[in-house]
Amino acid sequence: MTTVLSVRELSVRFRMPGGRHVAAVGDVSFELAAGECLVLVGESGCGKSVLASALLGLLPGNAETSGEARLGDGLELLSADERTLARTVRGRRIGLVPQSPAAHLTPVRTVRAQLAETVRELTGARGAALAEAVEAAAARAAFPAGHLDRYPHQLSGGLAQRAATALALVGDAPLLLADEPTTGLDRELVDRTADELRRHADAGHALLMITHDLAAAERIADRVAVMYAGRVVEIADAAVFFGAAGPRHPYARGLLDALPERAFAPVPGMPPELGALPAGCAFAARCATPKEACEAVPALVDGVACHHPHRPLAEEASRA
Amino acid sequence: MGSRTRALRVSAGVMAAVVLAVLVVPLAVPLDEQAVDLGAKLLPPGAAHPFGTDEVGRDLLLRCVYGLRVSLLVGVVAALVATVVGTAAGALAGAFGGWPDRLLMRLVDLFSAVPHLLLGIFVVALFRPGIWPVVASVAVTHWLSTARVVRAEVLSLRSRPYIDAAVSGGASRWRVTVRHLLPAVLPQAGLAAVLMVPHAIWHESALSFLGLGLPTHRASLGNMVNSARGSLLAGDWWPTLFPGLFIIVPTLALAGLAGAWRARLNPRHRSELTL
Amino acid sequence: MLELRGITAGYDPRDPVVRDVSLTIGDGEAVGLLGPSGCGKSTLARVAALLHRPDAGSVVIDGEPARGWRHRAPREQRTAFGVVFQQPRQSADPRLRLRDLIAEPLRATGRRAEADTRVGELAPVVGLSAELLARRPHEVSDGQLQRACVARALVARPRWLICDEMTAMLDASTTAALVGVVEAYRRESGAGLLAVGHDAVLLERWCDRTVRWEPLTRPFTVSRGLRPRTPGPQTPDGLNTVPVIRVTQ
Repeated sequence: MTTVLSVRELSVRFRMPGGRHVAAVGDVSFELAAGECLVLVGESGCGKSVLASALLGLLPGNAETSGEARLGDGLELLSADERTLARTVRGRRIGLVPQSPAAHLTPVRTVRAQLAETVRELTGARGAALAEAVEAAAARAAFPAGHLDRYPHQLSGGLAQRAATALALVGDAPLLLADEPTTGLDRELVDRTADELRRHADAGHALLMITHDLAAAERIADRVAVMYAGRVVEIADAAVFFGAAGPRHPYARGLLDALPERAFAPVPGMPPELGALPAGCAFAARCATPKEACEAVPALVDGVACHHPHRPLAEEASRA
Repeated sequence: MGSRTRALRVSAGVMAAVVLAVLVVPLAVPLDEQAVDLGAKLLPPGAAHPFGTDEVGRDLLLRCVYGLRVSLLVGVVAALVATVVGTAAGALAGAFGGWPDRLLMRLVDLFSAVPHLLLGIFVVALFRPGIWPVVASVAVTHWLSTARVVRAEVLSLRSRPYIDAAVSGGASRWRVTVRHLLPAVLPQAGLAAVLMVPHAIWHESALSFLGLGLPTHRASLGNMVNSARGSLLAGDWWPTLFPGLFIIVPTLALAGLAGAWRARLNPRHRSELTL
Repeated sequence: MLELRGITAGYDPRDPVVRDVSLTIGDGEAVGLLGPSGCGKSTLARVAALLHRPDAGSVVIDGEPARGWRHRAPREQRTAFGVVFQQPRQSADPRLRLRDLIAEPLRATGRRAEADTRVGELAPVVGLSAELLARRPHEVSDGQLQRACVARALVARPRWLICDEMTAMLDASTTAALVGVVEAYRRESGAGLLAVGHDAVLLERWCDRTVRWEPLTRPFTVSRGLRPRTPGPQTPDGLNTVPVIRVTQ
């Protein structure tokens, strides 16, 4: 399989007034292949949206990045200049499926006009070819052709989401980045949006979805990466993660246990401030079984960053 | 340092100099700005009189500073009065709705229907010439826009869930207005007040230029431009230029300060991390 | 008992989003109202909390009919309800520190003296440290702010709680924590609950009974017990105009 995005030790820090620093993303590494869907889960403020902004070059001016994020064709995103990002990356190599489609669409123009503008900009199509390309783009996102002449406020939440997805797909970008695409939608619509995004992954796009919604993640993901306090603490196959074996990091296990269909019990405590991370493992203060080793930051080894990861029973037995 | 920061610094510097000048010069310089010296009339700018003298030989630099003092006083006081009246009216109309709203807004429409200068002249004509009629004239014509802006802002805030939460928590109408709505519109109102000061200075100058503002012997920038008309036709440019500059420069500086303020009110990004 | 009788409400009297809806919540009962977004269930929740005047119908609180809405409602009727909204950012006055945000209902009703004690009691319950209490809304995360909003709803000890999509913006752990806070308060106080949401799994786990709202129809489908999830009629988005009333037991 061809690698579409390769992130190596990506870190993002924000310089704050008074010489302080906020470490929003720390040493994140992962690979993403064509046709694959990786879902990044974590609670609000864990740094996952900052990671997305870093990939698109949309960080505010006080951000400092290190590490690298390389696209399949070799372009390094962190060092690319704004001109390259604007002309050849956003929309063309990375399609962005936004968080609130209603806000993403221009309220005073019809869906057709907005699609046409994007198609013309990205493909140079004109006249009859343009009209055809617009309808094709709408069809790809399952946006009904009969609704093309409507304004965004005349669309239901689901159709607005499809319109925004259609815009993201126009450039036929190999990588799709979906930032909380299901927040605030009702369950049925979450499922439908997730299924549609999955379809685009199956059609060969690499899909990186960022969400706090574990049910949506389970529905769509090939692999799951759990972020906590700016770091990826576990990255695992979705089938294993959501299956009988379950996750191995205590935070990820706690997060799943908090679901109403499971124990419905919260992880005690709250995540640390990104501006005041503890010296050791950031989760130790909330962990049920902290050990001495937890005074050091655990490295991500074999898909989990924990000094005492949970072991499935079978493995436990084979060791004995 | 961005260009915005530089503009802010220049504006702040100019305004500081202006305020300092109008406060200190009348105390520190023992000259009388009304002293007539017919032997030195219409002298061009030179060593003795940096800005030259006017048609009765009064020193223009001194008169400009005194004029600016009057204009700023009128401008600031009038802007404050207009802002307080406008904010109170707008907040009342927006927060209470119903008949208070209809009454106040019809009043605003009524005042807006009359050309501002005409209304201003009417107010001035009711009183003996002096500073306070001019202040009243400016305030009466300028509270309208503030009232409209504040009302619109309050209306949009009123439907926010946090107002619902306050109502549900038992807050009275008065408490909701004073504790939750007014503080939210005050920065906007303050910005409107700063933007209004130059307007008020212009209004005062216009009234004085028409001979309806301050008594003609009082140095006011409008009076000075008015009385310089004759000399300008004769080719003497300085009695018009310097008071004119004294109207324009503080206006620009205030606009610069207001712009910086506005930029602070609307931060572009507020991501979860760049708090 | 909280009774909503024949409520018709909305923002345009010619096209109300809520049409002739009745719903009763018993003392200490927790009722979940399930429905897709934009169906009018939030409007119904606002009517129940006396925050929105219905075009028709009445609200009866413990046998006494509501005498007005918003500021026209008598204070003791208004403050019988604690309300939590979907978006904490929108429902917190950006100028208040979390401590003052939570204490606001007490201060607004002349119970200033209790404020410090009550905030001191509630803060550890919802998981806010003294340091967080001193911050303003823009200095905390959505989850932390919603914790403060829940504390604000509980601070004046309401007899009824109205939670409108309280957890829609929150991660699983914060959701479980806040539902836990609400339930602990209800056990201790015997308060009733109307929880509005679109997550059937959550509301069925949380509430004694759930009531289902079908898209653009007269409600309701009433369901009891676990997972009665019968698929609704499949219709294109927002195009269903045929009223459907179904009841499953």
